[in-house]
Amino acid sequence: MPIHDQSYRRYAGVRTPPGRSWTVIASAGIKAMLAKRKFLGLLIVAWLPFVVRAVQLYLAANFPQMSVISPSPGTFRQFLDQQGVFTFFITIFTGAGLISNDLRANALQIYLSKPVGRLEYVAGKFTVLAFFLLLVTWLPATLLLFVQVVFAGSVAFVAANLYLLPAILIATCVETTVVALVMLALSSLSKSARFVGVMYAGVFFFTAALHGVVQAATRESGFCWMSLRASLQNVGDLIFRVPPRSDTPAWGAALALAATVAASAWILERRVRGVEVVT
Amino acid sequence: MTGAHSDPIVPAPAAHPASAPVPRPSGAPGEAPRFRSASMRVLDLSLGQMLWSRRTIFLALVVGSPLALGLLFRILSAFGVSGAMRAGGVAMGGPAIFGSMVWLLYLRFIVPVLGVFYGTALIADEVEDKTVTYLFVRPIPRSAVLVGKYLAYLVTTACVVLPSVVLLYLLVAPLGNGSLAGAFPALVKDLALLGIGLAAYGALFAFIGARFKHPLVTGLVFAFGWEQVALMLPGYLRRVTIAYYLQSLVPHSMPAGGLGSALQSLFRDAPPVWVSLAWLAGCVVVFLALAARATGCREYVLDQ
Repeated sequence: MPIHDQSYRRYAGVRTPPGRSWTVIASAGIKAMLAKRKFLGLLIVAWLPFVVRAVQLYLAANFPQMSVISPSPGTFRQFLDQQGVFTFFITIFTGAGLISNDLRANALQIYLSKPVGRLEYVAGKFTVLAFFLLLVTWLPATLLLFVQVVFAGSVAFVAANLYLLPAILIATCVETTVVALVMLALSSLSKSARFVGVMYAGVFFFTAALHGVVQAATRESGFCWMSLRASLQNVGDLIFRVPPRSDTPAWGAALALAATVAASAWILERRVRGVEVVT
Repeated sequence: MTGAHSDPIVPAPAAHPASAPVPRPSGAPGEAPRFRSASMRVLDLSLGQMLWSRRTIFLALVVGSPLALGLLFRILSAFGVSGAMRAGGVAMGGPAIFGSMVWLLYLRFIVPVLGVFYGTALIADEVEDKTVTYLFVRPIPRSAVLVGKYLAYLVTTACVVLPSVVLLYLLVAPLGNGSLAGAFPALVKDLALLGIGLAAYGALFAFIGARFKHPLVTGLVFAFGWEQVALMLPGYLRRVTIAYYLQSLVPHSMPAGGLGSALQSLFRDAPPVWVSLAWLAGCVVVFLALAARATGCREYVLDQ
């Protein structure tokens, strides 16, 4: 029987340059999610509104009597609004366990004992969530703009609304950044993915309900900064240059979102640590 | 379930002579506890775990957060800024604000969320912690485990929600010359309504937790997807929601304006009270029975 040498050997594999480790975490996370059939089903359902909108664009471009449904910048804003429900469920499905499962399995220490920094770890997890969120928001919205050009056989609409391309990118990036960071922060607070999901639903719906109560009591729509969803809508309206749905100044909503991002980053900084030193 | 020194399901025998038979909680010696006795023992065990957990304390803080809003309204009123709280140019009374808060915060959000969280966790938590085996090897029916945990859920959520509503009532109802005594019957109805809501949602989500592999996502899709959409659809679809029957029992007028008006229009065909109560009671019984059956039949495979 041959006896192989099991003593120390130098690593002969490819060395990932420093600062690239997050790509390993990101790609592993994305592959793991894509292996789930139910999640794939959710992604497919999330693309159905795109199909509906594409049919709408086709009809508007080819049948003059259907001009009532012809596209406007508001169409793209509405489309992103409608994707909100899928964004919510994908965020919970993908994000709830991103850090909490590692905490539960004590895997965080293993991650951070490798040449992976805390920032890289968070960046990798963030990328997993951001990838799927952009997959159901930015990609279909941008494709919709492309489909409009193809069906209309003219670039007149895009040329007249050239700001739509960056608007779609900026609005989806803002939403993705805020939502993903909030979810990662919540995920780092508990070892139970289910509890994290409930906390996220709480942040999302409870702040909206509080906003609803204040609005019902005061009959003023200037309190949208209280609600994460309303703040995102307010900033999105500003980016798409459509009339805002509330009287809250855009800077107020933007400030609320910035505070949310800062609080999430602070929580992540406190919670994502390899070794907890008790003094 | 872990780390228990004494057996909480089958009680430890008292000091008896070695030769004397060990008394059992019910039935003849050696006989397993009856369903009711077993459920009560699981209730006793689960209640301590649920009530004094960090999650419950966190949820109690969330559920109590409307009190901060109530306090804010009270402070505004004390400083004479109550004019801000008006509807259609008319100052809004305390009972109306209280009704809006019960409607928007508790019925629309807190009750379903507590139902999703605790209801889906009844069995799923034990599976996740790999402690379900310890419960299922006891000489008690599996359904008794579920029923006992469901009862513990009811007690826990009632302890979390109802005091918060009472405190909110004491804070908000006197605003705008509102009368505590005048609004008291509405408070009693609200408390009963919240209890019924917790029972109905809890039974439904207990079934989802026992039956489905991803109970949280399924539960959230039902509570914040299906129910929200179905309530706005014409026809009979809204009758396939719990919210439809619950909201028809709300003693307050719905918040007017915007979404509130749209919701109010949904209640033109609100069913009679007894029909709603019968449907909700039916939901509790049917879903609890289905959950008990699913718990009894399903093979729970624990992750290695």
